[in-house]
Amino acid sequence: MFLTTLVNGIAYGVVLFLIASGMSIVMGVMGISNLAHGALYMVGAYVGWQVFKGFHWPFIVAVLLGGVAGGLVGLFIERIFLRRLYKQPNEQVLLTFGFVYIITNICLWIWRGWSRLPFTASVLFRPIIIGNQRFAPSRLVLILIGVVLAVGLWYLQDRTRLGAMVRAGMDDKEMAQGLGINMERVSMIVFFIASFIAGLAGVLGAQVMGVNLELGTNILVLALVVVIVGGIGSIQGAFVGGLLIGVVDTFGKALFPQMAMFTIYLAMVIVLVVRPRGLLGRGG
Amino acid sequence: MRAAEQSVIQRVSQKVIANAVPWALAGVVFLIVPLLLPGFLQGMMSKFLIFAIFSMSYNVVAGYTGLVSLGQAAYFGVAGYAVALLMYHFGIDSLWVTAPIGILMGTVVAAAFGPLVLRVSGLYFLILTFALGRLCYSIAWNVPWLNCPGMQGIAGLPQPNLGFPGFKWSYLSFYFFTLIAFAIAMFLQYRLSKSPFGHSLAGIREGEARMEALGFNVWLHKYIAFIIGGAFAGVAGVLFVYYNRFIEPAHLDIMFSFLPMCMVIIGGPGTLWGPAVGAGVIVFVEYYSSVMIPQRWPLVLGGLFVFAIMFARKGLAVYAASGWRKAEARLWRR
Repeated sequence: MFLTTLVNGIAYGVVLFLIASGMSIVMGVMGISNLAHGALYMVGAYVGWQVFKGFHWPFIVAVLLGGVAGGLVGLFIERIFLRRLYKQPNEQVLLTFGFVYIITNICLWIWRGWSRLPFTASVLFRPIIIGNQRFAPSRLVLILIGVVLAVGLWYLQDRTRLGAMVRAGMDDKEMAQGLGINMERVSMIVFFIASFIAGLAGVLGAQVMGVNLELGTNILVLALVVVIVGGIGSIQGAFVGGLLIGVVDTFGKALFPQMAMFTIYLAMVIVLVVRPRGLLGRGG
Repeated sequence: MRAAEQSVIQRVSQKVIANAVPWALAGVVFLIVPLLLPGFLQGMMSKFLIFAIFSMSYNVVAGYTGLVSLGQAAYFGVAGYAVALLMYHFGIDSLWVTAPIGILMGTVVAAAFGPLVLRVSGLYFLILTFALGRLCYSIAWNVPWLNCPGMQGIAGLPQPNLGFPGFKWSYLSFYFFTLIAFAIAMFLQYRLSKSPFGHSLAGIREGEARMEALGFNVWLHKYIAFIIGGAFAGVAGVLFVYYNRFIEPAHLDIMFSFLPMCMVIIGGPGTLWGPAVGAGVIVFVEYYSSVMIPQRWPLVLGGLFVFAIMFARKGLAVYAASGWRKAEARLWRR
């Protein structure tokens, strides 16, 4: 029982990491608080459902198309609107929250109000039994994908030229531009990657949470919690924060069901009181 | 000589008209129009004024001081819960007891959260205020004493007892009650913005390092502004419970923190009339679009936010004021 709960908690934590990583990097690099990030997750989840359950295409295609859908909607918001609101946090918050309303309502329009149950590829249905423990293979695959993506993102940020430009932009945007880095283009690429991962996470997360219209705000809240715990602008922080919150929440729900939800906020406030910038937040 | 006298008379009358017309307009909107409206619209007017006070809370914190907070609903909701609990558990419905305690609770919670959130600034301040608001929400959701049995929230609350024998609330009397609160809040906001303290807050918003260098205690200024914001939110929360007669955890949550934020930005942050204008626009757009196109009103509201940000960034109150000044100038040129 303990081990199964732990695996479920880690799988949930991986989904939280995927959501929060994009949000955290966008906040760190561009100084943009994109509250529509949860809505992008929801777009990915609905598109994935449509592709997998509606068109009966393979699950992996659904995951990729969900990511592309999230990425394109994100790119649209960034190119047309957010680009003009650099360094205006008030305005960014209001604009992106307006898009939460708009995207949620358009999803209601297209897909109607009924919520979808969790879905996954048929090969991932049969539980794996080791000793007397039962594991859902979808959870194990999720953890695997999460770890691969985490390593990939960390590599991208810490070991590549693009990552170096991103980190330079976080530290001093004007200076980076002065050195001939096209921050406009870097921002665009970062925003697309972040939105793509949000959409991807939507389809992957649908294996755990299903698809419904509350996702836009619920996921946003979870992503903010993870970003707070992990620290803004840090992939490793989002990973540690996501796993911590995922495990705490899953065990909290299993052990004290009447305190559901309360546990993660308590964990969050404790982290904040000790480290106001999150566990692995960048200085400043 | 004669020409000079004439020009003095003209200048004085210009000034009188320039000030009298906006005041007369406000008087008609707030005093006369409600008398002619049907009951449910008088109720909407009360809701509008309550949210105008709530927006002033955000205006003090973010508009004047530049602290972008995402947890203003915490102080609003705590004040509302204090009133609701006094009514529900202790059977106290007197206005003179519940209102001060409610406002005090909102202020005290802001005073308690202030030192935590003011350790950081910018984006971290935004998400820390959000986090503490969310903590209040989860407490309200989970603690049984804070909920009626079998549901989330406290329902069926009585109307506040004024203590006058034979007095009965109506839509109209409640409207004028909120109008008095609104007028007092407007006056306090006006005094605050004109005081030396208010000017130092604006200085902190424009250049924190410079104010620090000039020897101001920036932290203390921010903290006091934060507490004042909590008090305004508390007033709005108390009135909201009187109006709504029901409170639920959602009233502490992120959605209710967004509303005053949207109202202030649409109306004009850091201006006297901005919060009221924004609250009026949002409350009535929400009401009419939810009546006329119930399926699509979030689309209308979201579109309004996007439009306001892209094309009316200074706020509608600022545009209205500059429009009036232009119209007035044209009037005298004729």
